[in-house]
Amino acid sequence: MQKKDVEQKTLRRDGQDGAQATDGQNAAKVENELAEKPSPTLAPPGPRERRFRQTELPPHFIERRKHPRISTEPPPPAAPPRLEDYAPIIGRPELDEIRFLARQLQAKTVKMVNSTAVGGGVAEILNRLIPLLNELEIPTRWEVITGGNDFFEVTKGFHNALHGGDYHLTKQIQEIFLAYNEQNRQRMQFTEDLFVIHDPQPVGLIRSRSENRGRWIWRCHIDLSNPHRGVWDFLKPMVGQYDAAIFSAPAFSRQLGISQYLFFPSIDPLSEKNRDLDENYVNKVCDDFGVDRSRPIITQISRFDRLKDPVGVIEAYKLVKKYADCQLVLAGGGATDDPEGAVVLQEVMDAAGDDPDIIILNLPPWSALEINALQRASTVIVQKSLKEGFGLTVTEALWKKKPVVAGAVGGIPTQVIHKLTGVLVHSVEGCAYQIRYLLTHPEFAQQLGKNGREHAKENFLITVNLKRWLLLFQILLGMAKPSLPAKG
Amino acid sequence: MATAPQMPLMRARWARSPFYFNSASHLLRIGKEKANCLQELLDAMRTCPDSSIFQHTFQTLEEHHFIKEGFSNDFAHWAFAACNEVELAERLSSIDIREFTSISTLRERLVQLTESHLQKNPRAATRQAMEPFYVMAADLVVIPTPYVARNLEEFADGMRKVSIHSIYYHFIDARLRLKLNSNDFSVWLDQELDMRQAGERLHQIDIYTSTLEGVRRSILKVIEGELARD
Repeated sequence: MQKKDVEQKTLRRDGQDGAQATDGQNAAKVENELAEKPSPTLAPPGPRERRFRQTELPPHFIERRKHPRISTEPPPPAAPPRLEDYAPIIGRPELDEIRFLARQLQAKTVKMVNSTAVGGGVAEILNRLIPLLNELEIPTRWEVITGGNDFFEVTKGFHNALHGGDYHLTKQIQEIFLAYNEQNRQRMQFTEDLFVIHDPQPVGLIRSRSENRGRWIWRCHIDLSNPHRGVWDFLKPMVGQYDAAIFSAPAFSRQLGISQYLFFPSIDPLSEKNRDLDENYVNKVCDDFGVDRSRPIITQISRFDRLKDPVGVIEAYKLVKKYADCQLVLAGGGATDDPEGAVVLQEVMDAAGDDPDIIILNLPPWSALEINALQRASTVIVQKSLKEGFGLTVTEALWKKKPVVAGAVGGIPTQVIHKLTGVLVHSVEGCAYQIRYLLTHPEFAQQLGKNGREHAKENFLITVNLKRWLLLFQILLGMAKPSLPAKG
Repeated sequence: MATAPQMPLMRARWARSPFYFNSASHLLRIGKEKANCLQELLDAMRTCPDSSIFQHTFQTLEEHHFIKEGFSNDFAHWAFAACNEVELAERLSSIDIREFTSISTLRERLVQLTESHLQKNPRAATRQAMEPFYVMAADLVVIPTPYVARNLEEFADGMRKVSIHSIYYHFIDARLRLKLNSNDFSVWLDQELDMRQAGERLHQIDIYTSTLEGVRRSILKVIEGELARD
């Protein structure tokens, strides 16, 4: 039924072809529509009359856009993948190398500690990483620190302060932080060979270092490029006692007397957010949300947050829309449980006005499969952030071979190598121009997508990080000696 | 991967010593140096550890093995993308790491090119870059693989099966270990199978205009040609 609707609409649009178009075909159609206009130049043109005929949306799409079918209940959790499941993705030789590195560590034990078992990026990473380490016969135990509301208020304050926010660090705050760290330290046992302490909350556990001969690693997932001086000065002596620290970007690191390593955040290619999907399912999700697959789809996936610049994306789309019959999908969450998110969502809806081709989806947290489908249905994926950590939504898009237009902030330039794995932009106008360029140059868009996939595969998959952990464990335990380039 | 083409029956030429395929993995260490302008980059080039020069030239070629276009080392890429110094970027990019069998001579060349550019363009030296250059270093760990070749057929078989990291290790990284303007594959073919010409043909494969998968295909083309001749 849905396909019939699409075919009828496509027929009305170009009068010839009723078949459902692929991304490349969509772009080629746009190219045909633009054939009479001169090649785009770097300077974005001023306002002009639309050169294409605006698609008249069938009632089916209008209804879906007003009332998208959003699942109200989380699906049952999927079983975590086994290492062997990654073989078709990363290749047998790569898997063999991981197993070889793990074999030498099989008698070693690991403890990982963080501050929450559910929710948040760190818990998500550990939920995937720890089963893989255990499967490799490296017994890995995950422990979560406990504390009262006063402790978590302090750590939330620290978190914001370490991101550069104002903070008044008092003696009492320091005592609360240290007392709960000590309480957790007394409760836990430290008999393992390796200890990985995640983020600042449990950093004080390092006091147990003297009780054993294990190696201690501090994994910092947050951006320390501009920390509150007082808070960092308080934490730094504790961090300095670790054997090594790990950061997600060079810019996030600090001057420390210990070795600092770079581990990029990673995605799991077998998670619901990233695994391959049946094309029928992608069509169903588009149908549920009123997304028309016969026309180009520009998508930004992110929570409704001003730092993701959703209003800027709408402005860019409006500039593109003068030349191309496209749709914009803004999908994300955070507007239900976050008062500021709700305000931003309203701003976004105001900016969208009555344009029927702007589809705004406030999705619940269990929408990983739907987001996956929307990304796969997209012609171009945008991440026009004004400030960003690493930007895993960009990684997800690269993995799905999508051409990406992204703001040159935070960890995005590490992923998007300009004109090789995507395009970087610094303004609304630049964003609009690059989207137009990609819509009209499908071969270039396809090449970016292909390179982007390889870049993600080589650097940003969970299996790459698993290998990094194994290498680091071996180096810190003195089992592997890094071979430095021969002296000249 | 496609299945191997059927080779005609041949008399196996046995190597005097087998070829053991290894692979290498690396961890990125965040260095202490950071450059906000070209003068600071030049200072860092002079003082950073060998492992950093290695990371930003040899290793980056492996990290971006899937790209044929663009600048071939991190210094060149930064000079272009963050400093808009196209001429310097082109010059730095023209450095062919195959010509260097030691990090110190490679470092000298990088310093010399940057120094000479800044002498001609002194204002470029202190102009703030759009983003800093973070000096990194690579900790390389060698990993054995199960693949061993005692003749050309087994060599081709191993070549089809190893990871691209193994090809990088033997074909590109090798010249620093060997201190020879060659690679592990060519040296083995020459010394163990008396196949100098085939080794030279491997040496001529252009790593800058091919991906590492492309290098693998080119190597196999040469080896399969030799097998077909036998």
